[in-house]
Amino acid sequence: MSLTQLRPAAHHRAQPPKTPTKARLWLHRFDTKTVPYALIAPFFLLFGIFGLFPIIFNGVVALRNWRLDDPTLTGWAGFGNFTKLLSDEDFWNALGNTFGIFVLSTVPQLIAALIIANLLNRKLRATTWWRIGVLLPYLTPVVASTLVFAVFFSRDYGLANWFLSLVGFGQDDPLDWRAAKWSSWIAIATMVNWKWIGYNALLYLSAMQTIPKDVYEAAAVDGAGPWRQLWQITVPMIQPVVVFTVILSTIGGLQLFNEPMMFDENPQSASGGSDHQFQTIAQLIYKVGWKDLNLGYAAAMSWALFLIILIVAGVNALATKRIGGGR
Amino acid sequence: MGRLGKRTLRAAAAGIAATLVVAGCSGQALEGGNEDNASGGQVTLKIAFWGDMGLDKLKAAYEKDHPNVKIVLNSGEFNAQHEDLQKKLVAGSGAPDISAVDEGFIVQFRSQADKFVNLLDKGGAEFESKYLPWKWKQSLSPDGKQIGLGTDVGGLAMCYRTDLFKKAGLPTDREAVSKLWPSWDSFINVGKQYVSKTGKKFVDSGTNMFNPVLAQQPVGFYNEQDQLQMDGGPKIAFDTAMKAIQADLSADLASFQPNWDQGFKKDQFAVLACPAWMLGHIQDTAPDQKGKWDIASIPGGGGNWGGSWWTVPSQGKNIDAAVDFVKWLVQPEQQIEVFKTVGNLPSQPALYKDPAVLDYKKEFMSNAPTGQIFAATAENLKPQYLGKKNGPTRVAVENVITRVQQGGLKPEAAWAEAVKEAEKAAKS
Repeated sequence: MSLTQLRPAAHHRAQPPKTPTKARLWLHRFDTKTVPYALIAPFFLLFGIFGLFPIIFNGVVALRNWRLDDPTLTGWAGFGNFTKLLSDEDFWNALGNTFGIFVLSTVPQLIAALIIANLLNRKLRATTWWRIGVLLPYLTPVVASTLVFAVFFSRDYGLANWFLSLVGFGQDDPLDWRAAKWSSWIAIATMVNWKWIGYNALLYLSAMQTIPKDVYEAAAVDGAGPWRQLWQITVPMIQPVVVFTVILSTIGGLQLFNEPMMFDENPQSASGGSDHQFQTIAQLIYKVGWKDLNLGYAAAMSWALFLIILIVAGVNALATKRIGGGR
Repeated sequence: MGRLGKRTLRAAAAGIAATLVVAGCSGQALEGGNEDNASGGQVTLKIAFWGDMGLDKLKAAYEKDHPNVKIVLNSGEFNAQHEDLQKKLVAGSGAPDISAVDEGFIVQFRSQADKFVNLLDKGGAEFESKYLPWKWKQSLSPDGKQIGLGTDVGGLAMCYRTDLFKKAGLPTDREAVSKLWPSWDSFINVGKQYVSKTGKKFVDSGTNMFNPVLAQQPVGFYNEQDQLQMDGGPKIAFDTAMKAIQADLSADLASFQPNWDQGFKKDQFAVLACPAWMLGHIQDTAPDQKGKWDIASIPGGGGNWGGSWWTVPSQGKNIDAAVDFVKWLVQPEQQIEVFKTVGNLPSQPALYKDPAVLDYKKEFMSNAPTGQIFAATAENLKPQYLGKKNGPTRVAVENVITRVQQGGLKPEAAWAEAVKEAEKAAKS
């Protein structure tokens, strides 16, 4: 358009600048002021329908009695569902499991991702191949990979027990991974780590590539080794991305559902192991809602989980901002 | 202020425009759907069930006689189908025209009877006299609405591996095997012999001891006032399961899970409590074990496990056509056809005298006369009331049995734990 063309084209006779018509001005205003809103509106619309509305509706349900198996029990419950939560040992057990698995998965996952990203950031042969390679687990559908892991960690013919037997453990009495808290947590955390390490590594890698090389050169001249460079230069300089991944894995980790669900020997029960060894909160919500048919109580649990995630993500973000030289 | 107002207005206008676009699309789709349904009085019936209920041939026959009816079969996973039905009932739309409901879920749905067509309003009362009385009663809501017509019942028998029994020096003839175990104690003794001879396990899991024994008790977890009764039937069943576990008979495999299916193929257990519908499952899981299974009577006699109903959710658009089809499905000819195709035993006692059922022999199960065997168990059955919280209570107690098998709980301490967990489930 001539409006944006500052230099007149060489072969044309210079024309006097056109005065923009009123309609054209209006169109321009419309284009710059209104179109952005129209373009972004579908997101907010969908978010309103599928995000905001369910959250609010859930809050309303949480304050009501709603039992599918007893239609006569209805009406407002006030904070009854929430006070019941405080003394519900299943809830606290699930909260403990969720945090246990969360720590076992997030901490190794982010550290491993950082180290892998650091390796990928060097001059390697077949760089693209490596980078795509680490992303492959992320592309695998979670149900498919979890099913494979469930067999991997099975008691009688599982690969994990076969590896253990190679180094001399459990030849006579194979380990039942689902029986104890510690073993089931490790198994589930392994599935989560496997899936997300590559994804986080690529995020870190892209952030690392924005760090100017001369910073490292200066550090190397000052005698900083690779390990020190990683923690004193790389981590502080990619800190926003680290905060982002910490928040993301906090949200994901506290909502963990598929892995424990499909790891269970008896998935229909949603009990997370025979003694609720690995029942996460998301799983408990599902059980209370669709197995015990108590939708009001399940909604209260969802809201409690929502608040817990907000708090934990906030704390984690603050804590992460303090690492790496307290920038 | 004015500027802000203008900007807000503009944003709102843009949002509304986008809404109209979305709404326009969906409106169009909806109209299209209606048009399709209305053309030429054609009725489409969607039927949801799980596994194979022997409907393929019946569908073709019905469509031939009723050219205006088109039947769409939707077979899915057992639990998913029930959960999907529950969600669609809550949502108020999207449910199938006809849905199969299993015994384990019928309690949950009969307490929501207002969401189903009351078949008594549609001339269903004529069927009452044809059914086993307890089958008719199980799908009856507390206020007397009939939400479903019964298809099959799961009278119990005991399936066993003739080849493995032979290796252990046990008899293989079904009469002789039945005589080995008149009671559960004698059954456990046979198991001990088998284990000491072969070094392999006898039963698949402690829970599959618990469930059939419980099914034989006059009162299950709950009495008819819906009060938990752990000291009666559940205690007897639990003790039997503990005895089997302590005698080291159990392979500790959870039913219907990958490990269990592996267990079939690797001969990890030699017997399996089997209702009629289990035969199809054995056949699908271990097709190469044809002729290696046979059926004996179950210790203690009788008992029911599973069995289903056809229900018609009231939100459907073609309720009358759906009810007509269900009524046709439960007629004797169709029920016998289903029995022959998949083995599901009808729930109308008159059919147990029918030569087509009595003379039927199942080739896969060493030509066992399955019609005779299962008809006899179904007729001798003591009906049991299933409480509202039967499902969650069963899961809770099964979990305690699994904990004992996993070694996390001592058998002596297990009963107290089972009572505690059951009480929790009753209140859930």
